[in-house]
Amino acid sequence: MTRSAIPGLQAAGPMEQFEILPIVPLTLGNLDVSFTNSSLWMVIGVGAIIIFFFAATGRRALIPGRVQSIAEVLHEFVADLVRDTIGPDGLKFFPYVFTLFIFILVANFLGLFPTFPGLPHQFHTFTTTSHIIVTFALAMVTIAIVIIYGLAKNGLKFFNLFAPSGLPIWLLPILVPIEIISFLSRPVSLGVRLFANMLAGHIILKLFAGFVISLLSAGGAVMILGIAPFFGAVAIFLLEFLVAALQAYVFAILTCIYLSDAAHAADH
Amino acid sequence: MSDGAKQDPPSLDEFAKRLDAARGASEPEGSSPRASGVELGRAFRVGSEMLAGLIVGGLLGLGLDTLFDTKPLLLLVGILLGFAAGVLNVSRAFKAAGKAAGKASGTDAVQNGQKPSGQG
Repeated sequence: MTRSAIPGLQAAGPMEQFEILPIVPLTLGNLDVSFTNSSLWMVIGVGAIIIFFFAATGRRALIPGRVQSIAEVLHEFVADLVRDTIGPDGLKFFPYVFTLFIFILVANFLGLFPTFPGLPHQFHTFTTTSHIIVTFALAMVTIAIVIIYGLAKNGLKFFNLFAPSGLPIWLLPILVPIEIISFLSRPVSLGVRLFANMLAGHIILKLFAGFVISLLSAGGAVMILGIAPFFGAVAIFLLEFLVAALQAYVFAILTCIYLSDAAHAADH
Repeated sequence: MSDGAKQDPPSLDEFAKRLDAARGASEPEGSSPRASGVELGRAFRVGSEMLAGLIVGGLLGLGLDTLFDTKPLLLLVGILLGFAAGVLNVSRAFKAAGKAAGKASGTDAVQNGQKPSGQG
């Protein structure tokens, strides 16, 4: 029985979900700037965020409704985060941290939506944050802000970050390179962590779901065994919900920590 | 008189007190979901902080190697320094998180019978 017992039932490969497919092919000179499924899901994410916050802030009632409550809780959560990590003067970074947090959160959660059955491949659900170029770009923006703000606020004292005060001179040749590497590793760890978590989670999810399909298509008594990976997939899906929220939170809190370093570099 | 007292809206201070009392009553023992989320976030950080230090150190060493044509030497130095930077990253992650946790869950620690200052 090599053929599927149920026609049309076939497991997709675990990596197919990460393929970038052009929807509207565009070129700019030699550059391929096609509107891809990745772009589509970013637009959907940003659109969802804009619609949600317009709906939430439309009424501005003293006693908030359901939608307004969610927006207020989100706002308060990020504002607390920024105030606790950077200090009261850090609230000028609130718009950036909030945008970053909400974008990553929504992108992660959108990736968990099931695909509407029967859609062509380029309209399948796509997790934009499962591509390292996206997460790394976000991390680079954060580090660029840290460097520019740090230099603007502290001037050359910003480089005190690499040479902690109160250190014997002979330790400097060892510690300064270590501090520089540590600083340079920040965008790498920021980008890699988010990307790796989303990638690994979606691969595992797809593998478990693939087991269910394979067992079901085997037919006969073997089909009953499919219940085990099915519950596995449900468990992984729940875990992915946690990871999606947690990774957005970690990205936001690390952005705050790095910004706080830049703001207080002169005190080192 | 009792009627009048009933009709007076309770002052905000009093309301805050009652709200705090109600919140304290419903507060679960041990760690709150948010605190455990923070813990989990820290756990997720450690691995990638270490890895990122090693990657950056190794790549820097390799780049300087090709620049100065000293093939394996600076790569090794870079990996060593990268390892040190990774350890530094991890220790910083724990220090920052410990400071934040100590500030946020000061009441929790008192509830559990261990004062934060008792450790120092």
